[in-house]
Amino acid sequence: MIRRQVDAVVVGGGSAGLAAALQMRAAGLSVAIVERDPFLGGILLQCIHSGFGLREFKEDLTGPEYAERFIRPVLASGIDVFLDATVVDISEEPHGRAVTALSRGLGVVRFSASVVVLAMGCRERNRGNVAIAGTRPAGVLTAGLAQRLVNIEGCIPGRNVVIVGSGDIGLIMARRLTLVGCTVRAVVEIQSYPSGSARNIVQCLNDNSIPLYLGHVVTRIEGRNRVEAVQVAPLEDGNAAPDAGFRIPCDTVLLSVGLIPENELSRAAGVPINDGTAGPWVDADLMTGAPGIFACGNVLHVHDLVDFVTEEARRCADRAVAFLQGEPKRRMLAVSPGANVRYVVPNACAPDRQNVFFLRPLVVKNDAVLEVRMGGREVKTRRFAHVQPSEMIRLALEQGSVPFPDEGTTAVLEVAIR
Amino acid sequence: MTKQSPAGTGDRELVCIACPMACRLTVVQAGQVVTVTGNRCPTGETYGREEILAPRRMVTAVVPTDSLDFPCAPVRTDRPIQRGLVQRLLHELYASTISLPVRQGQVLMDDFDGARVVFTRTLPPDDVPPVRLAGEPSAPITT
Repeated sequence: MIRRQVDAVVVGGGSAGLAAALQMRAAGLSVAIVERDPFLGGILLQCIHSGFGLREFKEDLTGPEYAERFIRPVLASGIDVFLDATVVDISEEPHGRAVTALSRGLGVVRFSASVVVLAMGCRERNRGNVAIAGTRPAGVLTAGLAQRLVNIEGCIPGRNVVIVGSGDIGLIMARRLTLVGCTVRAVVEIQSYPSGSARNIVQCLNDNSIPLYLGHVVTRIEGRNRVEAVQVAPLEDGNAAPDAGFRIPCDTVLLSVGLIPENELSRAAGVPINDGTAGPWVDADLMTGAPGIFACGNVLHVHDLVDFVTEEARRCADRAVAFLQGEPKRRMLAVSPGANVRYVVPNACAPDRQNVFFLRPLVVKNDAVLEVRMGGREVKTRRFAHVQPSEMIRLALEQGSVPFPDEGTTAVLEVAIR
Repeated sequence: MTKQSPAGTGDRELVCIACPMACRLTVVQAGQVVTVTGNRCPTGETYGREEILAPRRMVTAVVPTDSLDFPCAPVRTDRPIQRGLVQRLLHELYASTISLPVRQGQVLMDDFDGARVVFTRTLPPDDVPPVRLAGEPSAPITT
Protein backbone atom coordinates (compact mmCIF):
# COMPACT_ATOMS: atom_id res chain seq x y z
CA MET A 1 0.00 0.00 0.00
CA ILE A 2 1.18 3.50 -0.89
CA ARG A 3 0.63 6.39 1.52
CA ARG A 4 0.38 10.05 0.68
CA GLN A 5 -0.13 13.03 2.98
CA VAL A 6 -1.87 16.09 1.47
CA ASP A 7 -3.90 19.04 2.67
CA ALA A 8 -6.81 18.24 0.38
CA VAL A 9 -8.07 15.27 -1.61
CA VAL A 10 -10.51 16.03 -4.43
CA VAL A 11 -12.64 13.03 -5.40
CA GLY A 12 -13.32 13.33 -9.14
CA GLY A 13 -11.50 15.15 -11.96
CA GLY A 14 -14.46 16.62 -13.83
CA SER A 15 -15.53 20.25 -14.00
CA ALA A 16 -16.15 20.60 -10.25
CA GLY A 17 -13.03 18.74 -9.14
CA LEU A 18 -10.71 20.59 -11.52
CA ALA A 19 -11.92 24.05 -10.47
CA ALA A 20 -11.89 23.21 -6.75
CA ALA A 21 -8.39 21.70 -6.94
CA LEU A 22 -6.96 24.71 -8.81
CA GLN A 23 -8.50 27.16 -6.37
CA MET A 24 -7.11 25.33 -3.32
CA ARG A 25 -3.70 24.96 -4.95
CA ALA A 26 -3.62 28.69 -5.70
CA ALA A 27 -4.13 29.28 -1.96
CA GLY A 28 -1.00 27.23 -1.26
CA LEU A 29 -2.48 23.86 -0.30
CA SER A 30 -1.05 20.53 -1.38
CA VAL A 31 -3.80 18.88 -3.40
CA ALA A 32 -4.44 15.46 -4.93
CA ILE A 33 -7.14 14.74 -7.52
CA VAL A 34 -8.32 11.13 -7.72
CA GLU A 35 -10.06 10.33 -11.02
CA ARG A 36 -11.66 7.04 -12.04
CA ASP A 37 -11.20 7.54 -15.81
CA PRO A 38 -7.77 7.42 -17.49
CA PHE A 39 -8.03 11.15 -18.29
CA LEU A 40 -9.22 14.38 -16.67
CA GLY A 41 -12.31 16.29 -17.79
CA GLY A 42 -15.26 14.13 -16.78
CA ILE A 43 -18.48 14.36 -18.71
CA LEU A 44 -17.38 17.55 -20.53
CA LEU A 45 -15.25 15.43 -22.87
CA GLN A 46 -18.28 13.75 -24.43
CA CYS A 47 -20.25 17.01 -24.64
CA ILE A 48 -18.74 18.05 -27.97
CA HIS A 49 -21.49 20.63 -28.63
CA SER A 50 -21.00 24.32 -27.91
CA GLY A 51 -22.70 26.56 -25.37
CA PHE A 52 -20.26 26.18 -22.49
CA GLY A 53 -18.33 29.01 -20.88
CA LEU A 54 -20.49 31.96 -21.92
CA ARG A 55 -20.62 33.12 -18.32
CA GLU A 56 -17.19 32.01 -17.15
CA PHE A 57 -15.07 32.97 -20.18
CA LYS A 58 -17.48 35.15 -22.20
CA GLU A 59 -16.86 32.70 -25.05
CA ASP A 60 -18.94 29.98 -26.64
CA LEU A 61 -16.89 26.84 -25.99
CA THR A 62 -17.45 23.13 -26.53
CA GLY A 63 -17.19 20.74 -23.59
CA PRO A 64 -13.65 19.53 -24.39
CA GLU A 65 -12.47 23.13 -24.85
CA TYR A 66 -13.96 24.13 -21.50
CA ALA A 67 -12.30 21.13 -19.83
CA GLU A 68 -8.88 21.92 -21.27
CA ARG A 69 -9.09 25.47 -19.90
CA PHE A 70 -8.80 23.77 -16.49
CA ILE A 71 -6.76 20.65 -17.32
CA ARG A 72 -3.76 22.61 -18.62
CA PRO A 73 -3.34 24.74 -15.47
CA VAL A 74 -3.94 21.70 -13.27
CA LEU A 75 -1.11 19.81 -14.98
CA ALA A 76 1.20 22.82 -14.59
CA SER A 77 0.31 23.63 -10.98
CA GLY A 78 1.89 20.81 -9.01
CA ILE A 79 -1.41 19.18 -8.17
CA ASP A 80 -1.01 15.41 -7.85
CA VAL A 81 -3.29 13.71 -10.35
CA PHE A 82 -4.12 10.03 -9.84
CA LEU A 83 -5.83 8.69 -12.97
CA ASP A 84 -7.45 5.29 -13.36
CA ALA A 85 -7.92 5.39 -9.59
CA THR A 86 -11.21 4.87 -7.79
CA VAL A 87 -11.88 6.11 -4.27
CA VAL A 88 -13.50 3.28 -2.32
CA ASP A 89 -13.56 4.62 1.23
CA ILE A 90 -13.43 7.86 3.21
CA SER A 91 -13.02 7.42 6.96
CA GLU A 92 -12.19 9.49 10.00
CA GLU A 93 -8.64 9.95 11.27
CA PRO A 94 -7.41 11.86 14.34
CA HIS A 95 -6.42 14.91 12.26
CA GLY A 96 -8.67 14.70 9.25
CA ARG A 97 -9.75 12.00 6.85
CA ALA A 98 -8.26 8.87 5.36
CA VAL A 99 -9.16 8.41 1.70
CA THR A 100 -8.51 4.98 0.18
CA ALA A 101 -8.26 4.59 -3.58
CA LEU A 102 -7.63 1.61 -5.84
CA SER A 103 -5.28 2.57 -8.65
CA ARG A 104 -4.65 0.50 -11.75
CA GLY A 105 -0.96 1.37 -11.75
CA LEU A 106 -0.17 1.84 -8.06
CA GLY A 107 -2.45 -0.59 -6.24
CA VAL A 108 -3.96 0.62 -2.99
CA VAL A 109 -3.25 4.29 -2.29
CA ARG A 110 -4.14 5.71 1.11
CA PHE A 111 -4.29 9.48 1.51
CA SER A 112 -4.26 11.35 4.80
CA ALA A 113 -5.96 14.68 4.20
CA SER A 114 -7.20 17.56 6.30
CA VAL A 115 -10.09 18.25 3.94
CA VAL A 116 -11.91 16.21 1.32
CA VAL A 117 -13.86 17.76 -1.55
CA LEU A 118 -16.55 15.51 -3.01
CA ALA A 119 -16.83 16.13 -6.78
CA MET A 120 -18.04 12.80 -8.11
CA GLY A 121 -20.80 14.18 -10.33
CA CYS A 122 -23.97 12.28 -11.05
CA ARG A 123 -25.37 9.21 -12.80
CA GLU A 124 -28.23 8.79 -15.21
CA ARG A 125 -31.52 7.30 -14.18
CA ASN A 126 -32.09 4.14 -16.19
CA ARG A 127 -34.91 1.85 -17.26
CA GLY A 128 -35.19 0.35 -13.77
CA ASN A 129 -35.74 3.81 -12.27
CA VAL A 130 -38.69 4.59 -14.53
CA ALA A 131 -40.13 1.07 -14.78
CA ILE A 132 -41.10 0.75 -18.46
CA ALA A 133 -43.03 -2.45 -19.16
CA GLY A 134 -42.29 -4.82 -22.01
CA THR A 135 -39.56 -7.15 -23.15
CA ARG A 136 -35.86 -6.64 -22.44
CA PRO A 137 -34.23 -6.48 -25.87
CA ALA A 138 -30.91 -4.93 -26.85
CA GLY A 139 -31.11 -1.31 -27.92
CA VAL A 140 -32.33 0.37 -24.72
CA LEU A 141 -29.69 2.71 -23.33
CA THR A 142 -29.32 5.98 -21.49
CA ALA A 143 -28.78 9.17 -23.50
CA GLY A 144 -25.42 9.87 -21.86
CA LEU A 145 -24.16 6.40 -22.74
CA ALA A 146 -25.24 6.96 -26.35
CA GLN A 147 -23.38 10.28 -26.25
CA ARG A 148 -20.23 8.54 -25.11
CA LEU A 149 -20.58 5.89 -27.83
CA VAL A 150 -21.08 8.44 -30.61
CA ASN A 151 -18.63 11.13 -29.50
CA ILE A 152 -15.81 9.19 -27.83
CA GLU A 153 -15.96 5.58 -29.04
CA GLY A 154 -17.11 6.40 -32.56
CA CYS A 155 -20.05 3.94 -32.60
CA ILE A 156 -23.63 4.64 -33.65
CA PRO A 157 -26.04 2.79 -31.36
CA GLY A 158 -28.94 2.34 -33.82
CA ARG A 159 -30.78 3.72 -36.83
CA ASN A 160 -34.34 4.57 -35.79
CA VAL A 161 -34.51 6.11 -32.39
CA VAL A 162 -37.18 7.07 -29.87
CA ILE A 163 -36.04 9.22 -26.97
CA VAL A 164 -37.85 8.92 -23.65
CA GLY A 165 -37.74 12.12 -21.63
CA SER A 166 -36.89 15.61 -22.83
CA GLY A 167 -33.93 16.34 -20.57
CA ASP A 168 -31.10 18.35 -22.11
CA ILE A 169 -28.91 15.32 -22.81
CA GLY A 170 -31.80 13.65 -24.66
CA LEU A 171 -32.39 16.77 -26.75
CA ILE A 172 -28.70 17.20 -27.53
CA MET A 173 -28.58 13.53 -28.56
CA ALA A 174 -31.67 13.92 -30.76
CA ARG A 175 -29.72 16.47 -32.81
CA ARG A 176 -26.45 14.60 -32.62
CA LEU A 177 -27.96 11.32 -33.84
CA THR A 178 -29.74 13.14 -36.67
CA LEU A 179 -26.40 14.63 -37.72
CA VAL A 180 -24.78 11.19 -37.87
CA GLY A 181 -27.57 9.88 -40.08
CA CYS A 182 -30.04 8.31 -37.65
CA THR A 183 -33.76 9.04 -37.75
CA VAL A 184 -35.12 10.27 -34.45
CA ARG A 185 -38.79 9.28 -34.60
CA ALA A 186 -39.98 11.05 -31.48
CA VAL A 187 -39.16 12.52 -28.10
CA VAL A 188 -41.74 11.43 -25.52
CA GLU A 189 -42.11 13.52 -22.35
CA ILE A 190 -44.40 12.56 -19.47
CA GLN A 191 -44.79 16.13 -18.21
CA SER A 192 -46.81 18.80 -19.93
CA TYR A 193 -43.70 20.95 -20.40
CA PRO A 194 -40.20 20.08 -21.67
CA SER A 195 -37.64 19.14 -19.03
CA GLY A 196 -34.78 20.52 -21.11
CA SER A 197 -34.04 24.16 -21.88
CA ALA A 198 -36.15 26.12 -24.36
CA ARG A 199 -33.01 26.75 -26.36
CA ASN A 200 -32.41 23.04 -26.85
CA ILE A 201 -36.02 22.45 -27.90
CA VAL A 202 -35.48 25.00 -30.65
CA GLN A 203 -32.01 24.13 -31.89
CA CYS A 204 -32.19 20.34 -31.41
CA LEU A 205 -35.81 19.37 -32.11
CA ASN A 206 -37.41 22.13 -34.18
CA ASP A 207 -34.36 22.52 -36.39
CA ASN A 208 -34.54 18.83 -37.31
CA SER A 209 -38.35 18.53 -37.39
CA ILE A 210 -38.35 15.96 -34.58
CA PRO A 211 -41.80 15.52 -33.01
CA LEU A 212 -42.09 16.19 -29.27
CA TYR A 213 -44.99 14.44 -27.50
CA LEU A 214 -45.64 16.30 -24.24
CA GLY A 215 -47.91 14.64 -21.67
CA HIS A 216 -47.24 11.22 -23.21
CA VAL A 217 -45.64 8.07 -21.82
CA VAL A 218 -43.94 5.04 -23.32
CA THR A 219 -46.13 2.24 -21.98
CA ARG A 220 -44.28 -0.73 -23.49
CA ILE A 221 -41.07 -1.65 -25.24
CA GLU A 222 -41.48 -4.38 -27.90
CA GLY A 223 -38.91 -6.68 -29.49
CA ARG A 224 -37.34 -10.09 -28.96
CA ASN A 225 -33.62 -9.67 -29.50
CA ARG A 226 -33.52 -6.05 -30.60
CA VAL A 227 -36.02 -3.26 -29.92
CA GLU A 228 -38.75 -3.33 -32.60
CA ALA A 229 -41.16 -0.64 -31.43
CA VAL A 230 -42.49 1.33 -28.48
CA GLN A 231 -46.11 1.85 -27.49
CA VAL A 232 -46.91 5.46 -26.60
CA ALA A 233 -50.03 6.74 -24.86
CA PRO A 234 -51.23 10.19 -23.82
CA LEU A 235 -51.83 10.94 -20.16
CA GLU A 236 -55.40 11.60 -19.11
CA ASP A 237 -55.86 12.74 -15.50
CA GLY A 238 -52.41 11.44 -14.68
CA ASN A 239 -52.96 7.95 -16.12
CA ALA A 240 -51.92 6.54 -19.45
CA ALA A 241 -54.86 6.22 -21.87
CA PRO A 242 -53.88 3.21 -24.01
CA ASP A 243 -57.00 3.49 -26.18
CA ALA A 244 -55.66 6.78 -27.50
CA GLY A 245 -52.18 5.32 -27.85
CA PHE A 246 -50.07 4.56 -30.89
CA ARG A 247 -47.04 2.47 -31.85
CA ILE A 248 -43.73 3.84 -33.10
CA PRO A 249 -41.45 1.33 -34.87
CA CYS A 250 -37.80 1.84 -33.86
CA ASP A 251 -34.65 -0.14 -33.10
CA THR A 252 -33.26 2.00 -30.32
CA VAL A 253 -34.70 3.64 -27.19
CA LEU A 254 -32.70 6.35 -25.44
CA LEU A 255 -33.61 7.28 -21.88
CA SER A 256 -33.13 10.88 -20.81
CA VAL A 257 -35.08 10.70 -17.61
CA GLY A 258 -32.99 12.57 -15.11
CA LEU A 259 -29.73 12.51 -13.23
CA ILE A 260 -29.01 11.45 -9.66
CA PRO A 261 -26.02 12.75 -7.69
CA GLU A 262 -23.62 9.88 -7.08
CA ASN A 263 -23.36 9.64 -3.31
CA GLU A 264 -22.66 6.02 -2.35
CA LEU A 265 -19.21 7.07 -1.15
CA SER A 266 -20.62 10.06 0.76
CA ARG A 267 -23.24 7.93 2.51
CA ALA A 268 -20.66 5.35 3.53
CA ALA A 269 -18.55 8.20 4.96
CA GLY A 270 -21.47 9.25 7.17
CA VAL A 271 -22.43 12.33 5.15
CA PRO A 272 -26.13 13.19 5.64
CA ILE A 273 -28.07 13.42 2.36
CA ASN A 274 -30.73 16.02 1.52
CA ASP A 275 -33.87 14.41 0.07
CA GLY A 276 -34.66 17.45 -2.10
CA THR A 277 -31.45 17.20 -4.11
CA ALA A 278 -30.23 13.62 -3.46
CA GLY A 279 -26.92 15.35 -2.70
CA PRO A 280 -25.29 16.05 0.67
CA TRP A 281 -26.84 18.51 3.06
CA VAL A 282 -24.39 21.46 3.12
CA ASP A 283 -24.01 24.56 5.28
CA ALA A 284 -23.20 28.06 4.01
CA ASP A 285 -19.56 26.94 3.56
CA LEU A 286 -20.65 24.06 1.29
CA MET A 287 -19.40 21.77 4.06
CA THR A 288 -21.39 18.58 4.53
CA GLY A 289 -22.63 17.30 7.88
CA ALA A 290 -19.27 15.52 8.25
CA PRO A 291 -16.69 18.13 9.34
CA GLY A 292 -13.89 18.61 6.82
CA ILE A 293 -15.84 17.03 3.95
CA PHE A 294 -17.07 19.54 1.35
CA ALA A 295 -19.15 19.02 -1.79
CA CYS A 296 -19.64 20.86 -5.09
CA GLY A 297 -20.91 20.31 -8.62
CA ASN A 298 -23.36 17.65 -9.68
CA VAL A 299 -22.66 15.43 -6.68
CA LEU A 300 -24.27 18.20 -4.62
CA HIS A 301 -27.19 18.99 -6.95
CA VAL A 302 -27.65 18.57 -10.68
CA HIS A 303 -26.73 21.77 -12.53
CA ASP A 304 -27.78 22.79 -16.07
CA LEU A 305 -24.74 25.00 -16.68
CA VAL A 306 -21.11 24.03 -16.17
CA ASP A 307 -20.30 27.68 -15.58
CA PHE A 308 -22.31 27.49 -12.37
CA VAL A 309 -20.47 24.29 -11.40
CA THR A 310 -17.16 26.13 -11.74
CA GLU A 311 -18.40 29.05 -9.68
CA GLU A 312 -19.71 26.74 -6.95
CA ALA A 313 -16.51 24.66 -6.91
CA ARG A 314 -14.36 27.76 -6.40
CA ARG A 315 -16.58 28.95 -3.58
CA CYS A 316 -16.38 25.50 -2.02
CA ALA A 317 -12.59 25.52 -2.33
CA ASP A 318 -12.32 28.95 -0.68
CA ARG A 319 -14.32 27.69 2.31
CA ALA A 320 -12.27 24.50 2.51
CA VAL A 321 -9.10 26.63 2.65
CA ALA A 322 -10.61 28.79 5.42
CA PHE A 323 -11.57 25.64 7.34
CA LEU A 324 -8.04 24.28 7.02
CA GLN A 325 -6.60 27.59 8.21
CA GLY A 326 -8.72 27.33 11.34
CA GLU A 327 -11.05 30.24 10.58
CA PRO A 328 -13.79 30.25 13.22
CA LYS A 329 -17.19 29.02 12.09
CA ARG A 330 -19.59 31.84 11.23
CA ARG A 331 -23.07 32.12 12.61
CA MET A 332 -25.50 30.54 10.18
CA LEU A 333 -29.22 30.19 9.79
CA ALA A 334 -31.10 27.47 7.99
CA VAL A 335 -32.44 28.02 4.47
CA SER A 336 -35.51 26.18 3.28
CA PRO A 337 -37.47 25.95 0.03
CA GLY A 338 -40.90 27.61 0.22
CA ALA A 339 -43.84 27.56 -2.18
CA ASN A 340 -43.06 26.43 -5.75
CA VAL A 341 -39.37 25.82 -5.04
CA ARG A 342 -38.02 22.28 -5.24
CA TYR A 343 -34.74 22.95 -3.49
CA VAL A 344 -32.28 25.64 -2.47
CA VAL A 345 -28.53 24.99 -2.12
CA PRO A 346 -26.73 25.57 0.21
CA ASN A 347 -29.04 24.69 3.08
CA ALA A 348 -27.74 27.47 5.33
CA CYS A 349 -26.80 31.11 5.08
CA ALA A 350 -24.05 33.15 6.78
CA PRO A 351 -25.49 36.69 7.16
CA ASP A 352 -22.11 38.39 7.69
CA ARG A 353 -20.99 37.84 4.10
CA GLN A 354 -22.41 37.52 0.59
CA ASN A 355 -24.41 34.33 0.03
CA VAL A 356 -25.04 32.78 -3.37
CA PHE A 357 -27.79 30.21 -3.75
CA PHE A 358 -28.88 27.95 -6.55
CA LEU A 359 -32.53 27.00 -6.59
CA ARG A 360 -34.83 25.05 -8.82
CA PRO A 361 -38.46 26.04 -9.41
CA LEU A 362 -41.22 23.43 -9.15
CA VAL A 363 -43.46 25.20 -11.64
CA VAL A 364 -43.61 26.73 -15.10
CA LYS A 365 -44.72 30.32 -14.64
CA ASN A 366 -44.68 33.66 -16.43
CA ASP A 367 -44.22 36.91 -14.48
CA ALA A 368 -42.96 35.05 -11.43
CA VAL A 369 -41.78 36.74 -8.25
CA LEU A 370 -38.98 35.22 -6.20
CA GLU A 371 -39.42 36.05 -2.52
CA VAL A 372 -36.88 35.63 0.24
CA ARG A 373 -38.29 35.99 3.75
CA MET A 374 -37.03 35.52 7.26
CA GLY A 375 -39.77 35.04 9.82
CA GLY A 376 -42.31 37.61 8.70
CA ARG A 377 -39.73 39.93 7.17
CA GLU A 378 -39.09 40.37 3.51
CA VAL A 379 -35.38 40.12 2.67
CA LYS A 380 -35.44 40.32 -1.11
CA THR A 381 -37.80 40.04 -4.05
CA ARG A 382 -36.86 39.57 -7.68
CA ARG A 383 -39.06 39.43 -10.76
CA PHE A 384 -38.68 36.91 -13.57
CA ALA A 385 -40.41 37.06 -16.95
CA HIS A 386 -40.41 33.25 -17.00
CA VAL A 387 -39.37 30.40 -14.69
CA GLN A 388 -39.38 26.66 -15.34
CA PRO A 389 -37.97 23.61 -13.52
CA SER A 390 -35.31 22.98 -16.17
CA GLU A 391 -33.76 26.40 -15.68
CA MET A 392 -31.91 26.76 -12.39
CA ILE A 393 -31.95 30.18 -10.74
CA ARG A 394 -28.89 31.84 -9.22
CA LEU A 395 -29.69 34.09 -6.29
CA ALA A 396 -27.11 36.34 -4.62
CA LEU A 397 -27.83 38.00 -1.27
CA GLU A 398 -25.32 40.74 -0.54
CA GLN A 399 -23.58 41.04 2.81
CA GLY A 400 -25.87 42.80 5.26
CA SER A 401 -29.05 42.02 3.36
CA VAL A 402 -30.00 39.16 5.67
CA PRO A 403 -30.66 40.34 9.23
CA PHE A 404 -29.11 38.37 12.06
CA PRO A 405 -31.85 36.62 14.01
CA ASP A 406 -32.24 37.64 17.64
CA GLU A 407 -29.96 35.69 19.95
CA GLY A 408 -31.60 32.51 21.15
CA THR A 409 -34.26 32.39 18.42
CA THR A 410 -34.25 29.99 15.50
CA ALA A 411 -34.93 31.78 12.26
CA VAL A 412 -35.28 30.20 8.84
CA LEU A 413 -34.66 31.94 5.55
CA GLU A 414 -37.39 30.85 3.18
CA VAL A 415 -37.17 31.13 -0.61
CA ALA A 416 -40.46 30.96 -2.51
CA ILE A 417 -41.82 31.68 -5.98
CA ARG A 418 -45.21 33.35 -6.40
CA MET B 1 -41.60 27.57 -31.15
CA THR B 2 -42.24 29.86 -34.06
CA LYS B 3 -45.57 31.33 -34.96
CA GLN B 4 -46.18 31.07 -38.66
CA SER B 5 -46.64 34.16 -40.73
CA PRO B 6 -46.27 34.90 -44.44
CA ALA B 7 -42.68 35.11 -45.62
CA GLY B 8 -41.24 38.60 -45.66
CA THR B 9 -43.71 40.24 -43.30
CA GLY B 10 -45.19 40.10 -39.84
CA ASP B 11 -44.19 39.08 -36.31
CA ARG B 12 -42.41 35.97 -35.21
CA GLU B 13 -41.88 34.69 -31.70
CA LEU B 14 -38.45 33.10 -31.38
CA VAL B 15 -36.38 31.65 -28.57
CA CYS B 16 -32.82 32.94 -28.79
CA ILE B 17 -30.32 30.09 -28.93
CA ALA B 18 -27.21 32.23 -28.62
CA CYS B 19 -26.79 31.34 -24.95
CA PRO B 20 -28.62 29.43 -22.21
CA MET B 21 -30.55 32.54 -21.12
CA ALA B 22 -32.96 31.59 -23.93
CA CYS B 23 -34.50 35.06 -24.28
CA ARG B 24 -37.99 35.07 -25.77
CA LEU B 25 -37.69 37.33 -28.80
CA THR B 26 -40.33 39.09 -30.83
CA VAL B 27 -39.07 39.73 -34.33
CA VAL B 28 -40.94 42.10 -36.61
CA GLN B 29 -40.06 42.04 -40.29
CA ALA B 30 -40.95 44.59 -42.94
CA GLY B 31 -39.02 43.59 -46.03
CA GLN B 32 -35.31 43.72 -45.19
CA VAL B 33 -35.93 45.79 -42.03
CA VAL B 34 -36.05 43.53 -39.00
CA THR B 35 -36.75 44.76 -35.47
CA VAL B 36 -35.91 42.52 -32.53
CA THR B 37 -37.28 42.99 -29.01
CA GLY B 38 -37.05 40.85 -25.88
CA ASN B 39 -33.30 40.30 -26.24
CA ARG B 40 -31.09 41.03 -23.24
CA CYS B 41 -27.86 41.44 -25.19
CA PRO B 42 -26.63 42.49 -28.66
CA THR B 43 -26.05 38.86 -29.66
CA GLY B 44 -29.77 38.28 -29.35
CA GLU B 45 -30.50 41.04 -31.82
CA THR B 46 -28.06 39.57 -34.33
CA TYR B 47 -29.55 36.11 -33.82
CA GLY B 48 -33.09 37.38 -34.30
CA ARG B 49 -32.26 39.20 -37.51
CA GLU B 50 -30.20 36.37 -39.01
CA GLU B 51 -32.74 33.75 -38.03
CA ILE B 52 -35.32 35.55 -40.17
CA LEU B 53 -33.11 36.51 -43.08
CA ALA B 54 -30.48 33.72 -43.31
CA PRO B 55 -30.30 31.27 -40.39
CA ARG B 56 -26.85 30.13 -39.31
CA ARG B 57 -25.72 27.35 -36.99
CA MET B 58 -22.56 26.45 -35.14
CA VAL B 59 -21.53 22.94 -36.17
CA THR B 60 -19.79 20.41 -33.95
CA ALA B 61 -18.95 16.86 -34.97
CA VAL B 62 -16.34 14.15 -34.59
CA VAL B 63 -13.96 12.98 -37.30
CA PRO B 64 -12.57 9.43 -37.44
CA THR B 65 -8.91 8.98 -36.46
CA ASP B 66 -6.31 6.32 -37.17
CA SER B 67 -6.04 5.55 -33.43
CA LEU B 68 -7.59 2.58 -31.62
CA ASP B 69 -7.41 4.31 -28.22
CA PHE B 70 -9.11 7.49 -29.43
CA PRO B 71 -11.19 6.54 -32.49
CA CYS B 72 -12.66 10.00 -33.02
CA ALA B 73 -11.59 13.59 -32.53
CA PRO B 74 -14.13 16.35 -31.82
CA VAL B 75 -14.17 19.42 -34.08
CA ARG B 76 -16.16 22.64 -34.40
CA THR B 77 -16.68 25.57 -36.69
CA ASP B 78 -15.24 28.73 -35.16
CA ARG B 79 -18.38 30.64 -36.16
CA PRO B 80 -21.88 29.74 -37.32
CA ILE B 81 -22.30 28.69 -40.95
CA GLN B 82 -25.42 28.86 -43.14
CA ARG B 83 -27.89 26.26 -42.00
CA GLY B 84 -28.30 24.96 -45.54
CA LEU B 85 -24.60 24.06 -45.71
CA VAL B 86 -24.47 21.98 -42.52
CA GLN B 87 -25.03 18.63 -44.26
CA ARG B 88 -22.35 19.32 -46.84
CA LEU B 89 -19.81 20.10 -44.13
CA LEU B 90 -20.73 16.95 -42.21
CA HIS B 91 -20.26 14.79 -45.29
CA GLU B 92 -16.81 16.26 -45.85
CA LEU B 93 -15.86 15.66 -42.22
CA TYR B 94 -17.14 12.08 -42.10
CA ALA B 95 -15.28 11.24 -45.31
CA SER B 96 -11.89 12.17 -43.84
CA THR B 97 -9.58 10.24 -41.51
CA ILE B 98 -7.07 12.18 -39.46
CA SER B 99 -3.84 11.12 -37.79
CA LEU B 100 -3.15 11.73 -34.12
CA PRO B 101 -1.71 13.60 -32.35
CA VAL B 102 -3.85 16.73 -32.66
CA ARG B 103 -3.96 19.75 -30.39
CA GLN B 104 -6.96 21.79 -29.35
CA GLY B 105 -7.29 24.77 -31.68
CA GLN B 106 -5.38 23.07 -34.53
CA VAL B 107 -7.02 23.87 -37.86
CA LEU B 108 -8.59 21.04 -39.88
CA MET B 109 -10.26 23.17 -42.59
CA ASP B 110 -9.23 26.72 -43.37
CA ASP B 111 -12.34 28.06 -44.96
CA PHE B 112 -15.79 26.55 -45.09
CA ASP B 113 -18.40 29.23 -45.75
CA GLY B 114 -16.02 31.68 -44.09
CA ALA B 115 -15.56 29.52 -41.01
CA ARG B 116 -12.55 27.56 -39.87
CA VAL B 117 -12.98 24.01 -38.60
CA VAL B 118 -10.75 23.35 -35.59
CA PHE B 119 -10.09 20.46 -33.22
CA THR B 120 -11.58 20.96 -29.78
CA ARG B 121 -9.68 18.32 -27.81
CA THR B 122 -5.99 17.51 -27.52
CA LEU B 123 -5.56 13.83 -28.43
CA PRO B 124 -3.95 11.87 -26.99
CA PRO B 125 -4.42 13.97 -23.84
CA ASP B 126 -1.31 15.56 -22.30
CA ASP B 127 0.42 13.25 -19.82
CA VAL B 128 -0.06 13.97 -16.15
CA PRO B 129 3.20 14.49 -14.23
CA PRO B 130 4.34 11.42 -12.25
CA VAL B 131 2.74 11.46 -8.80
CA ARG B 132 4.87 12.04 -5.73
CA LEU B 133 4.50 9.40 -3.06
CA ALA B 134 4.96 9.16 0.72
CA GLY B 135 7.14 11.80 2.35
CA GLU B 136 7.97 13.76 -0.80
CA PRO B 137 7.05 17.42 -0.57
CA SER B 138 4.61 19.00 -2.98
CA ALA B 139 6.07 21.07 -5.78
CA PRO B 140 6.23 24.82 -5.15
CA ILE B 141 3.43 26.85 -6.67
CA THR B 142 4.43 28.17 -10.04
CA THR B 143 1.45 30.34 -10.90
